[in-house]
Amino acid sequence: MPSTLAAAINASASALAAERTRVEVAVSNIANAESTRGPDGGPYRRRQVVLAPDASSGFDGALGQAIGVRVADIRQDDSRFEMRYEPTHPDADEDGWVRIPNIDTSEEMVDVIGASRAYQANLAAINIIRDMIQRALELART
Amino acid sequence: MNRLDDAAVVETLRRHMSVAAAREMVAASNIANLNTPGYKAREVDFEVTLDRHLGGALRLAGADPGHLAGPDGGGDEQAGSGVRIREIADGQAQRDGNTVQLERELLAMGRAAGDFAQAQTALAAKFKLLRYAINEGR
Repeated sequence: MPSTLAAAINASASALAAERTRVEVAVSNIANAESTRGPDGGPYRRRQVVLAPDASSGFDGALGQAIGVRVADIRQDDSRFEMRYEPTHPDADEDGWVRIPNIDTSEEMVDVIGASRAYQANLAAINIIRDMIQRALELART
Repeated sequence: MNRLDDAAVVETLRRHMSVAAAREMVAASNIANLNTPGYKAREVDFEVTLDRHLGGALRLAGADPGHLAGPDGGGDEQAGSGVRIREIADGQAQRDGNTVQLERELLAMGRAAGDFAQAQTALAAKFKLLRYAINEGR
């Protein structure tokens, strides 16, 4: 039984890490919404977190265990860049068009809010489980 | 009251706490996968779990060898605890195929924690009585 609760806490903790990664990635996207020179020379490309269930975070390798979550991949969004007419921009082409990153700031904000709500939910779960473990330990003190 | 009764009470409360812990674990897994595409929410299969803990008393008995066995439901079993876990059948999938409903899971966590606390309080009282007896009422 204690390992059941420990596995539950592990699952929630893995979710805290995953949701934090989501916030970090969304925030970097927002920060780079105007970066016209990314690491590969071209404009910055939007990054997306791919989550996947992670059964290995449980204690026992058996079936019916706690299922945590892990970041399976951080993928580049290869959709088209937006074009903006700005002839005075240093990165403008000969016709005066600038390629700007494929980032929709409001979409990223929604992602940040969703991830932080999920973070809170997992934190609440951890608190509940911690109280249960505490109660179980109190049995030894009666 | 004889000793055997006491043992049975303690054993029942222990099981109660084990099942509550398993329910908590399943709900925590579901909340952890709130945003995982394609994840199917799970729950503790109450009837199968109860049946296991009663030693199969609820199992459908075939009156004739030709009768088919009752459905076994399908699902994962937590090692050695007799707790059966299955996917929630009526889960409404979101667009990404995820069937976790946060409110439902938070409610499940609260309920399981309440049950756990209940059993723990009763068990603590039981142990207190035992200690009282060992100390000859001092």
